[in-house]
Amino acid sequence: MKDLKLKIVTPEKILFEKRVSQVSISTVMGEVTILPNHIPLVSQLASGEVVVNANGDEEDLMAISGGFVEVLPDQVVILADTAERAEDIDEERAEVARKKAEEVLKTKASDAEAFAMFTAQIEKEMARLKVARKYKKRGVRTGITNK
Amino acid sequence: MPQASRDIQRRIKSVKNTKKITKAMELVSAAKMRKAVSRVLATRSYSDLVWDTVLHLVKKLDTDKHLFFQEPKEVKKVAVIIISTNRGLCGSFNATLVNKVTESIKLHHPDVIDTDVITCGTKGRDEIRRRKINLIADFHKEDITASSEDIRPISHMITKDFVAKKYDKIFVAYTDFMSSLKQVPHVKQLLPIVPEIDERLGHINHEKDQVDKISVDNFAEFVFEPGMENVLDAFLPRLVEVQIYQAVLESEASEHSARMFAMRNATDAAGDMIDELTLAYNQARQASITGEIAEIAAGSAALE
Repeated sequence: MKDLKLKIVTPEKILFEKRVSQVSISTVMGEVTILPNHIPLVSQLASGEVVVNANGDEEDLMAISGGFVEVLPDQVVILADTAERAEDIDEERAEVARKKAEEVLKTKASDAEAFAMFTAQIEKEMARLKVARKYKKRGVRTGITNK
Repeated sequence: MPQASRDIQRRIKSVKNTKKITKAMELVSAAKMRKAVSRVLATRSYSDLVWDTVLHLVKKLDTDKHLFFQEPKEVKKVAVIIISTNRGLCGSFNATLVNKVTESIKLHHPDVIDTDVITCGTKGRDEIRRRKINLIADFHKEDITASSEDIRPISHMITKDFVAKKYDKIFVAYTDFMSSLKQVPHVKQLLPIVPEIDERLGHINHEKDQVDKISVDNFAEFVFEPGMENVLDAFLPRLVEVQIYQAVLESEASEHSARMFAMRNATDAAGDMIDELTLAYNQARQASITGEIAEIAAGSAALE
């Protein structure tokens, strides 16, 4: 089967670089799954999860917050503003960060720009939380099947 | 002890203390440099990929459509962002950077009527002020630039000014980190975007470009979601931001290695000075002992 070269980078580091069979990302227009030989696409990303599927069964979960994706027939480059692997996210801290951002939004958001910034922050934390919970759930499930 | 040798001894002591300080500063700079270099290398891959994307897009698009690609018909007003340091003691680091800026302004754009300077870092600001160059904004530079968000105010301001046609061209002046031994001041055009390979920041191997070129030539065009305008409007300012961020990191790495070498030279010079002074001190001591012996001998000869 053909595969894709996937690269996920942030300004601070390269998070992921591997050949994969498919990748799902959430763009501002909704979620897309990219398979090899996808039509060339440049899209803006929303805060959300990235699900990478390499060779059928192996799945990698990541949370990203905004950025861009460039899709070429044989490679996908995700230029994320921030990106984290599911296993690196501390669920409690993400929850705290989200609550804090929500509070700040209620009290301090005076102008449109600040409002947009805090909403984006909340979205980012929501995405992280979602990914962290999904990862946890999956971890529990595989634990049962192993018994 | 006679006055002369006591003075020399005092001098030696003070030089020794200075040497200790410069030695410590060298070690600190070395540690900071290692950190800064690893950050530069981590960011280079991102900025390279962003730049690759731009190159791909340029091939498939009528780039003149977007304001950020439009070459101005005449260049009247330019802005230069100078990324310097907050602290001194790093050799000619800031002076060469500012020299390079003034030189390149004169050389490439003789018809430029007005040049505005935006500084980041206090040393560059002071130098610009001393040379009476038009300084319009000064941004505070963190000692360690944590993320590209720290750069956002600068990139926001210049893209806004560029879109408002306040400036025809915008440059960034920084010190390119080539190796720990070599740093080169460099003035790079930020806006309008010049889509050429040699315009990218940093120095990376161009081998992989060959591979990418082939894959880009195989298809007709890109699909944009949501729409070309929207994507470019969001993507190009991001590109500018990333380039400034990269420039700041390069400058940081260069600063620390420049300081490290300045301090190493200072330590070596202090060592040489101590040697010279010790020699002078010993000579003075020996001279005074010889003098005393001669006096005693003369005294005893007078008694006999």
